[in-house]
Amino acid sequence: MTVASQSGQYMERPSSGGLADVVGLILDKGLVVDVYARVSLVGIEILTIDARVVVASVDTYLRFAEAVNRLDIARSGTETRGLPGLMEEVSEGGAQSKTKGALEGVKEVVGNILPGVGDEEDEEDEEELEPEERPRQRSRPTSRKDRGR
Amino acid sequence: MVSCYVYGVVPGEQTSTEVEDLPAVANAQEKISLIRHRKLAAVVSDMSTERPLGTPEDLRAHARVLDTLAATDTPVLPLRFGTVVKDAQSAGRMLADGYDHFMAALERLQGYAQFTLNAQYIQDAVLREVLDERPEINQLREEIKSLPEEASYYQRIQLGQLVTEAVSSKRDMASAEIQQYLAPLAASTATSPPTADEAAVDLSFLVKHTQRAAFEQAAEDLARRWHGRIRLRLLGPLAPYDFVADAMADTGEVP
Repeated sequence: MTVASQSGQYMERPSSGGLADVVGLILDKGLVVDVYARVSLVGIEILTIDARVVVASVDTYLRFAEAVNRLDIARSGTETRGLPGLMEEVSEGGAQSKTKGALEGVKEVVGNILPGVGDEEDEEDEEELEPEERPRQRSRPTSRKDRGR
Repeated sequence: MVSCYVYGVVPGEQTSTEVEDLPAVANAQEKISLIRHRKLAAVVSDMSTERPLGTPEDLRAHARVLDTLAATDTPVLPLRFGTVVKDAQSAGRMLADGYDHFMAALERLQGYAQFTLNAQYIQDAVLREVLDERPEINQLREEIKSLPEEASYYQRIQLGQLVTEAVSSKRDMASAEIQQYLAPLAASTATSPPTADEAAVDLSFLVKHTQRAAFEQAAEDLARRWHGRIRLRLLGPLAPYDFVADAMADTGEVP
């Protein structure tokens, strides 16, 4: 999925966004047109709401604590691959991890309405949609938009 | 019942050849086509309303069509995922109703595309920075180590909370730095709302075609500078998802 940039090797240039990227890019974005003949499709609204569900959790803090506590291991030269929980995703997940909530939401909604659909992702989806027991944490207003025109 | 899925609005001189064979939303086999009205066209495909939209493939198909148009330097106004109208006439009527606004927004976005930069702190790097910069966090960590696990439950929560906040704050600083560095090469910038991941941030830039190489080079410079600390991924050119609302709003009332 990832292709080296034409200009250098440090920045990643995914040729096509993974599902997590796509969800982050398009959900709740784009023009809403008020057309008299608009067809309402149940499911979309639910999906949109689900994508924003962010739950604070003590468990998250405990995982973070564990991650820093184990940092010594890394300092003594051992690879930290396999660190449990939260921070693990940071190094390997890229944007894939940040929208897990959304993905789970999508999957759940689709699964509810249309049994079976949520289970038949292709291999790529499988990887991205792999459910992880990572609790969402911190709820901030979602309206923060900095625009500098 | 067959309805009409609408991806976005493009100038009427646009041909549909770049996108007509891409997989359509709801049914990959459907052709993507254009409904024209004067100097505008709506990018559409037929769909059955038997099932609600929202599968991963639906989302991908929507983005793929719009981004493919954006990659051909076509100005495109992306509609929100899931915009479905009764039939082709309704799509045409949508163009007629909002004609002036659509035209003005397309003109405004002509020659621009969106690029979205995802920045992600690397686990060990950010944790080490936090411990180095915040002695009190490191101290708490040492205290916890001397306690049996059962006795340190609340301290561990406190430690985790402090680390989480410190990581978030570093994320915000990196975000500000990216903006400062890249904004001069963009016409507009937008920060996505913070997500559940306290170590990552997405920033979107509206970049003029003539500035694209300079913008990409600047982003690459940042990636090199932060190599080993922060991972940067650049998506684009994309349809202007984060900027279309502004482009329309500037024209007055949204149709």
